[in-house]
Amino acid sequence: MKLVSTPSYRSIDRNAARAPNRARALANYLPMGFVGVFALLALGVWLGLWASGWREITGPAWAGPSIDHWFGTNQIGQDILARSLQSIAAAFEVGLVVGVGAALLGLVVGAMAGYFYEGWIDELLLWLTGCFESVPYYLLMGAVLFALGGVSGALQLAMILSFWPAVARVVRVRVVILRAENFITAARVSGSHPLRIVCKHVIPHLYDLTLVQVTLLFVAAIKTQVVLSFIGLAGSDSISFGRMLAEAASDLLAGQYQNFTVASVLLFLLVWSMNQLGDQLQAAVDPRRPGRFLRRRLDLM
Amino acid sequence: MRPSSSIIGLLLRRLLGAVPLLLGVTLIGFLLTQHVGPDPIWELAGRSPTPAELAALDAELNRGQSGIERYLDFLGSLLRLDLGESLISGESVRSIILRSVPVTLALMLPGLILGIGISLALGYLAACRRGQWQDRWVAGVSALSMSVSLVIVVMLSQLVFSVWLGWFPARGWSTDNLVDWLLHATVPTLIIVLVNLGYNVRFFRAVWLEALQLPAVQAARAYGLPEHKILFHRLLPWAFGPIMTRLVFAVPMLLLGGSLVIETHFGVPGAGRVFYNAVLSGDQPLILALVVLTGSLVVVAQLVVEVGVRWFDPRARAA
Repeated sequence: MKLVSTPSYRSIDRNAARAPNRARALANYLPMGFVGVFALLALGVWLGLWASGWREITGPAWAGPSIDHWFGTNQIGQDILARSLQSIAAAFEVGLVVGVGAALLGLVVGAMAGYFYEGWIDELLLWLTGCFESVPYYLLMGAVLFALGGVSGALQLAMILSFWPAVARVVRVRVVILRAENFITAARVSGSHPLRIVCKHVIPHLYDLTLVQVTLLFVAAIKTQVVLSFIGLAGSDSISFGRMLAEAASDLLAGQYQNFTVASVLLFLLVWSMNQLGDQLQAAVDPRRPGRFLRRRLDLM
Repeated sequence: MRPSSSIIGLLLRRLLGAVPLLLGVTLIGFLLTQHVGPDPIWELAGRSPTPAELAALDAELNRGQSGIERYLDFLGSLLRLDLGESLISGESVRSIILRSVPVTLALMLPGLILGIGISLALGYLAACRRGQWQDRWVAGVSALSMSVSLVIVVMLSQLVFSVWLGWFPARGWSTDNLVDWLLHATVPTLIIVLVNLGYNVRFFRAVWLEALQLPAVQAARAYGLPEHKILFHRLLPWAFGPIMTRLVFAVPMLLLGGSLVIETHFGVPGAGRVFYNAVLSGDQPLILALVVLTGSLVVVAQLVVEVGVRWFDPRARAA
């Protein structure tokens, strides 16, 4: 029942070149759906509903997929499915802790620096930010891990210390623009304390920005955890995708691919959908600059 | 910015401005390794030391001094490039670094340069065909590259090229001749290109998009200048700054970031593996030296790029 042909907007706005159709609209929900499923799986692990037997040897070594072991077993007969589910939970743990921790720290430092733009507080906080971001991630993290030894939470702290400067920079730029707004001036001339203005009037305007940063940090934290636990710098007593892949390295040489395939596919899906979700959020919050800020320095993870 | 500022003046002012940053970087390294970190005396003392031995070690490590005195001492020896000796091997830290950094450079630089070249080209393609199928494909490939873990790429490429195809050695390192170097560096180069592609393409696409909006570019296009002339005479000079910034930032990151996994997995004796071993074995002077030197390198690189870009910018030179 088409009376007029669909007009082509290509010449006017190339961004909107493709006419939206149902499949495309559904595909937009795909990342969110994946993240939701992964989150539920992680929740189940935390509540102890499934995968609690990930340490136990429950079958023959390197068994193929079966009813008992959906994804088969590993080199010593542990269930790969249970270990994957635990790894998903571990990824969510590190992603959430580091994402929220680094975002909060960056938010506070960035908001203070931006509000006191060009004052001594700004100079001091900029110096602090500059110092921390000058040391490459893995070096800073390695030094923190060395300093704290086997303390639990050392890995998360190391990542928070490495990642917060990127957030602080983005937040500061936004706050410098924000502080010229009338409602901030109104609060200032009515005699509010600067700290009160930052908490009550500045920070609530940064929630959208911070949410985007949390998704980017979440991805960076998961990828970093994979790298560090793969080479054995992060705790070896727990399971994570990095540990699974490290085990799979010897499996591969023996011609066993289950462990590697399951771990890498799940890890890829988790990171990909979180990346896409972050992009969508960023586009919704600020359509001008898709994903430019934090990525600049979160490379090679 | 004062209009009469010459490039030398700018350089000097930036150098002065970098001093607090350098102090901060050294302070971070010093605090983490010397202050918070585990006491190296137990590492040195061996089993069941006598109190006399411990006291001798105390004197050797200058531990009678306060933290500030030790920090100033450390700064002094850093200026003399005296970085101390490794706790594990007893070799001087300077010679370890001088030995391992060239290996890392030989391993990582080809991938870095190739990767930036490919990303520039793909980003240009995507920017020129914005919203069309080329752009969407490039975006899809970048999303793929950003989402796949470095570890997976390392394992897969080793499996495919070294185990299945057997084209390249699975481990080890040799630069005895060109063929050896190519054989050992090809797979790591491929890995670096693949892993960085997504981030780089995204970055350069944004740079090209901004450059394509320039009035000079639009005017050149309106006059009917050929595309390659627009690219080389209008776009590239404008994009020079961002490209250089990215390149220079990538070097220290790669030197000790990406090389950590690649070198430990492929058994290459470069700076990444040196750092990895130092963290595992608690080799305090080595960790301290690597953190401080790389951090300072980043600070200086930042400064050089900023001044260099200004110097190449005719507007800044004329002013």
